[in-house]
Amino acid sequence: MRRNQKRQNQTAASQDFEQEALSHLGALLAVGTRLTKNPSEAEDLVQDTFVKAMRARHQFEAGTNMRAWLLRILTNTFINRYRRGGLEKSVLEGPDADPLADGWVGTATMEAMRDPESLALRPVLEEEINDALDELPDEFRLAVLLADVEELSYREIADIMGCPIGTVMSRLHRGRRLLKSRLYEQALAMGIVSPEPVVGNNAEAQADGSPAPVDLNEYREKKGAVG
Amino acid sequence: MNACRRVLPLIETFVDGELKASKVLELEQHLAECELCCERVRLIQAMQVSTRRAVRDDAQPSATLQARVQNALVAEREREALVEASFDEHNRVLPWRAIMPIAAAAAFILVWAASVGTPPRPRQNASDEASLASSTTANVEQLIDEFVNYHADDPPPQVTEPSQLLRFDRTVGVPVRLPSLQQYGAHWIGGSIVPVRNQRAASLRYKLDGHRVTLYVYDSHRFPLRVMLEPRVVRNVPVYVGNRHGYSIAAVEREGVGYAVASDLNDRESAELVASIR
Repeated sequence: MRRNQKRQNQTAASQDFEQEALSHLGALLAVGTRLTKNPSEAEDLVQDTFVKAMRARHQFEAGTNMRAWLLRILTNTFINRYRRGGLEKSVLEGPDADPLADGWVGTATMEAMRDPESLALRPVLEEEINDALDELPDEFRLAVLLADVEELSYREIADIMGCPIGTVMSRLHRGRRLLKSRLYEQALAMGIVSPEPVVGNNAEAQADGSPAPVDLNEYREKKGAVG
Repeated sequence: MNACRRVLPLIETFVDGELKASKVLELEQHLAECELCCERVRLIQAMQVSTRRAVRDDAQPSATLQARVQNALVAEREREALVEASFDEHNRVLPWRAIMPIAAAAAFILVWAASVGTPPRPRQNASDEASLASSTTANVEQLIDEFVNYHADDPPPQVTEPSQLLRFDRTVGVPVRLPSLQQYGAHWIGGSIVPVRNQRAASLRYKLDGHRVTLYVYDSHRFPLRVMLEPRVVRNVPVYVGNRHGYSIAAVEREGVGYAVASDLNDRESAELVASIR
């Protein structure tokens, strides 16, 4: 009789698990789609992840973040299946000048980039973001997806990616930086922002009293170093 | 001026809510007097929102996917019940249909045995061994071994004409049709009837780019290979995959017919091959 009771408990626990796991289907599909860059492969990956999770459910610690746990299974499955040698790494090492991240773009430009007026352009922007994400090396892309889309903590991301927190931070920074500069170029191309007058007077930056000129000097130094 | 440069590396960590309290104070002080850095914060936040929306909007789970995943979970529960039933048979406890992986079942039985004051029985005597041998999991494990060993031995084929395969149907108990793996550049060499676990399976030998590939055709009810292999999905087809003795094995089931590829290709390639069978 005790056994029956226990069995019922276990069946109920299993159903709860399944239900909670399925509530994360959207999150897994979103990350899976960007990882595989292919909607039908993403669906295979997601189904795989669920079955694996089901098999390993006794390893899940109740009370911890199930979405993070499922994303770890998804990531490992992705690596085993598509990236036998581990995540694809960035070939772009070293600092590449980026106007936004390096901080020599003025307030008005940044404001324009996130201006509600450009909301009409949102579909274009979203497509641009997805394209830009697809172009990132796996390890940057994954960091950005886990932080900005799934809103996981650095600790959780480090666990999923199997790397120290410092590495998560630098991958995240680099990923976002590449994303930002891509969007900046797009904003320039669409005329949402105008090119910064990088040489000579930056009237706008000075007008709002921001310390942009210092950053501009930094930029000039860089330019000088390059050209 | 220099203040901006100093706090710039902190901004992202701050936006992520991961900055140490002492640094948060420093940054907030700076933000109170620097519009440019405030705008930097707002831009990162705006980008996060846009990225989240862009990625989510691009991948809304369809009802089909939902159903697919649910079906896969049902299949997985059935598989567990099968493993468990054979485990129970081995342990001579009453069959009960609970949904637990085999390790949990083992732990539970040990706990239960201890709680009623009976020490867990070590598997020593002959009858226990016999019952283990008759259980499904052991059967399937052995079957997989036999499939792989037979592939490794590579005996000459009994027939080399596709038309001769028709005679295999009655022996194997399921229709044996020759799947063309031509799209992968595979050539059929020949076929044999293989005795495995007191049953018969058809073995079809192919050559693919210098690799030997053996495709088994069998009654999937008698040989539930999925019980002991890892589930995987390839182009929407559930495939069961494993590695034994350095060979990969991948199986699919279609309308009661099982197909299993044993090869020295990697498990992903074997899975791909077997998933392509229609």
